[in-house]
Amino acid sequence: MKRKKRITNTICYVVLILMSIIWLFPFVGLVLQSFRGESGGMVAYLVPKEWSLKNYQYLFGGDGKFLKWYGNTLTIALFVSLLQTLVVICVSYALSRMRFRGRKALMNIWLVLGMFPGFLTMICLYFLLKTLGLTEAGAVPGLILISVASSGMGYYVCKGYFDTIPKALDEAAIIDGATRAQILYKMVIPMSKPIIIYTALVAFMAPWCDYIFASYVAFGYERGYNVAVAMTRWVWTNDYQGFFTRFCAGGILVAIPVTILFMCLQKYYVEGVTGGAVKG
Amino acid sequence: MKKILALLLALVMVFALCACGQQAAPAPADKPAEAAPAPADKPAEAAPAAAAGTLKIWVAEAIVDFTKDQVAKFVEAHPEYAGYEVTVEPVGEGDAASNMLTDVEAGADIFGFPQDQLARLVAADALIELSEENAALVAAENDAGSVAAATMAGTVYAFPLTSDNGYFMYYDKSVISDPSNLEAIIADCEKAGKSFYFDLRSGWYQPAFFFGAGCTLTYDTDDAGAFTKCNIDYASENGVGAMKALIALAKSPAFVNGSSVSNATNAAAIIDGTWDADAAKEMFGENYACAKLPTVKINGVDTQLGGFGGFKLLGVKPQTDEAKLAFCDDLAAYLASGEVQLARYNVVFWGPSNIAAKADPAVQADEALSALGQQLAFTVPQGQYPGEYWSLAEALGDDIIGGKYNDADDAALLAALQTFQDTCIGYAG
Amino acid sequence: MDEVKRGNAVSRFFRVLGKDLREIGQTFVQGDWKTKISFLVMGFGQLCRGQIVRGLAMLAMEVGLLYFTFGFGWQYLSKLLTLGTVETHKEGRVTVYGDNSFFILLYGILAVVAILALIYLWRVNLRQNREAEGLLARGKRLPSNRSDLASLLDKNFDKTLLALPVLGIFIFTVVPIIFMICIAFTNYDVTHQPPSKLFSWVGLENFKTLFGIGGEGFGGTFFYVLGWTLIWAFFATFLTYFLGMAVAILINKKEIKYKKLWRTILVMTIAVPQFVSLLYVGKMFAADGLVNAYLLKWGWIKTAIPFWTNATYARILIIVINLWIGIPYTMLIVTGLLMNIPAELYESARIDGANAFQTFRKITLPYMLFVTGPFLLTQFIGNLNNFNVIFLLNQGNPKSLQLSKNAGATDLLVTWLYKMTINDSNYKIAAVIGIMVFLVTAIISLVVYNTMPSVKDEEGFQ
Repeated sequence: MKRKKRITNTICYVVLILMSIIWLFPFVGLVLQSFRGESGGMVAYLVPKEWSLKNYQYLFGGDGKFLKWYGNTLTIALFVSLLQTLVVICVSYALSRMRFRGRKALMNIWLVLGMFPGFLTMICLYFLLKTLGLTEAGAVPGLILISVASSGMGYYVCKGYFDTIPKALDEAAIIDGATRAQILYKMVIPMSKPIIIYTALVAFMAPWCDYIFASYVAFGYERGYNVAVAMTRWVWTNDYQGFFTRFCAGGILVAIPVTILFMCLQKYYVEGVTGGAVKG
Repeated sequence: MKKILALLLALVMVFALCACGQQAAPAPADKPAEAAPAPADKPAEAAPAAAAGTLKIWVAEAIVDFTKDQVAKFVEAHPEYAGYEVTVEPVGEGDAASNMLTDVEAGADIFGFPQDQLARLVAADALIELSEENAALVAAENDAGSVAAATMAGTVYAFPLTSDNGYFMYYDKSVISDPSNLEAIIADCEKAGKSFYFDLRSGWYQPAFFFGAGCTLTYDTDDAGAFTKCNIDYASENGVGAMKALIALAKSPAFVNGSSVSNATNAAAIIDGTWDADAAKEMFGENYACAKLPTVKINGVDTQLGGFGGFKLLGVKPQTDEAKLAFCDDLAAYLASGEVQLARYNVVFWGPSNIAAKADPAVQADEALSALGQQLAFTVPQGQYPGEYWSLAEALGDDIIGGKYNDADDAALLAALQTFQDTCIGYAG
Repeated sequence: MDEVKRGNAVSRFFRVLGKDLREIGQTFVQGDWKTKISFLVMGFGQLCRGQIVRGLAMLAMEVGLLYFTFGFGWQYLSKLLTLGTVETHKEGRVTVYGDNSFFILLYGILAVVAILALIYLWRVNLRQNREAEGLLARGKRLPSNRSDLASLLDKNFDKTLLALPVLGIFIFTVVPIIFMICIAFTNYDVTHQPPSKLFSWVGLENFKTLFGIGGEGFGGTFFYVLGWTLIWAFFATFLTYFLGMAVAILINKKEIKYKKLWRTILVMTIAVPQFVSLLYVGKMFAADGLVNAYLLKWGWIKTAIPFWTNATYARILIIVINLWIGIPYTMLIVTGLLMNIPAELYESARIDGANAFQTFRKITLPYMLFVTGPFLLTQFIGNLNNFNVIFLLNQGNPKSLQLSKNAGATDLLVTWLYKMTINDSNYKIAAVIGIMVFLVTAIISLVVYNTMPSVKDEEGFQ
């Protein structure tokens, strides 16, 4: 019996270790490539022959373009994270705690709207933003506006979480003379820390990977790019020979803040997805 | 019924948006009205000093700084244009064309693009034809192929910038003993465990085999940039021969599809263009060498591979303001002039199209350019092709690489080429 | 039965409309002069009766909407039926742009929306007047400005909360979607590109092209791509789900140590932006990439495996790589849920002598399926539109002569329509395909949603 258990345990550990290797392999590859000193193109080996920091020096030095792109993305991510969380809380609270005419209809319409593929509307959004003067040099506020404007539709998870807070608490508060607004910021928000952090975290992560719409909106204006737009060019267009190691280095720099944040807030993320996503 | 107050909030937002919209939106509608009287009121020469505004240039990343310097030089020599604020943005040539197609009005005033985009750009009215003087100048100073590439239905639409957009072979001297024959190259590669890179799925490289075998594929266009007729004979004995050679190549373990030096991890030879010369030099080191494309056995005969000779062009988009148009014309003409082409060669080694610049000893001595020059004898100047052609060629290439025809007989190959040919013809008219 | 329902809905609509019209008439006939003026000057009655806040709000909205509609929107609205007639022409070498069909359609739609909003507000305005009159006639006091404002934080807090989000969604989601639906009925493509060319309405022409009615069409390619989209979504969802669950259960085993470490390692794939990780992983599997190079070096294979160029390999590889992305996500969710299953259930199962597999089949799985039903559905729909994985890995390739319009073997409908807009500027067909994507998604959601136990019994697991 005991031996059998030991064998199963060993198998489990072997599986886990194998999985860890597979899961970490690409990231190890990225890190190693980012420190490669020899030619910047693709290579078919993992460990650099010559170690160097020149890829990072390129990103931080010179014309400071990369820092600008990085700053743009960070700005977008912070604003989107803040505003989107605000919007989602507002919408979720209204849909979860209040009963008003058209509530069901609103939720259904939003559900249906979510089924249209977003790419179709890109050109239309581009021209709307252009009309508002929020393309090219205004790409950063433009992207923030678009992300925040439609974020109300992402109420799903957060509302699911709010639904689990007992209604009786609300009723008691109302009897005590609290207004709905007070209930929201004095009671519901403090009780919803995991879901708020989850929402903010998800919102923060999305702009780092926006390489399509962001490139539309920046429309060739380089200082309006975000990192994803700028860096996918290094891989996809022929103008950037030997930028592969720089891409890896940039990728590491992009991954660092998001990963650290994610690792720190992982607990809330799990609570968020399980608490909200599943319930809906 | 106090929902109104909430709606107020909503509406205030609408107005805020509308108010912003008000300032910017009518521009497209109003502009022509403002611009129209301008030519009548004041001829361009009358008050050039008053002209001011912004001008946007899109060029490849490699020549952004170079272009900035040249623009500064030009404006210094022409103080009448000093009122303009010129910005130069790095937008790759392919991206420039698709951006121009998305939104001409927000696009660059002057932009570099590969010639295969000319028809699309003309069809979308993203290019203005050159003035008569400039057209005459371009025709007199540049090589015939580049002028033809910038011309559509008798009208010159762009300034030739380079005449080096063709391909040839970079190879590793230590691996390849005989660069003149594809079978030998492949054998050498297989022996050394190295690879031969050729972009079989690209509609630009792929015709090297078909054209080499004697096939043709060209399109006729009308004045507006629409395709009227397709001249193609791929579905023929020659076409089948070329296809068999492609299939044989794709079957070799040494074959890798690709045409970018920095994406090649194991190259002994690569079919590529001059823009990769630096990267190729770095990769092959002291074994760096260039040659024209090799010969290949097609239908039992050693056949020289052909292909396209291509050109980079510089275009001006249609302008609504006479004075700015004059500036664009003059600046673009300057940036494409022989003197600047030579200067550009000295910075980024782009092979000039200007006849005088081509004769420069430095250009003459360039190894990559001379390989390209040798290949030139076997290429056809690249004309205009519909956008769908490029993806159709990718489809054919993917079928070949994916091994779909590995066991096919001649009849099946002919049928596949017939499909290809019919689809090509379908794009015209 | 549906027929009856729809009939009811239509007749109810007309009944409500009729009642509404009658009430508007009564409001005018029975109303005092303040109310009558309010028919033209919205908010007038409210202002006169001292409801300053409401009155000003109404007035401001009327002025604003009218200004928007007629000051800005009219130039577009008036051309909406033709989408513009003035051609672009040249004076000398200077270009004079004519009508811009794109803006006519876009701002025309905005103007129509503004008019609808105005009609609605007008109706609300009348109702307010009537109510106020009624209250006064009964000798009651009207709500004060202060209480109007205060209610926005209490009784009408939902309006305060929803106003901006709803407006944002309206302008930046609803209007663009209406716009794109309209595009499906026009000939907007590369040969009809504003600003220099006009496009116009063509009716159902594009739908006919797609399905090859009266022409060659490319319906075959459409169904091929649709087929792969469904296969992909199925495997991407369920393989990830079951394997993710397996991993979660494995890590959750009592005997396994360093649980947090294992989870953290897996979760890296969620944290690192996909455009970095997927682009790198895609390159790893290139013909001359890392994987092939090492396999060759170790002598495991003789020639490189055509991961991305062989259609079948490419499809399998994409599903496998998607596991790399999806397993951690499911693992997290399942981990959270496993803790919710009462330990007594497992305990009693153990006493009954059930083995690990039996407990999984009898306890864990049913619970999971019940609880994660909606999650699976959203995952499935997300995968139908999973652009990033496909596009970053191999852009939908390989293509084939058997497929038309640029489609490739691993293209999903979304990546296909993206290519159509970006590479070919073929907006009209892309719009039609977009509508099809919507229909597919909607039908699947509807069917699945209605058969899901956890939805039927919504309160059941609260």
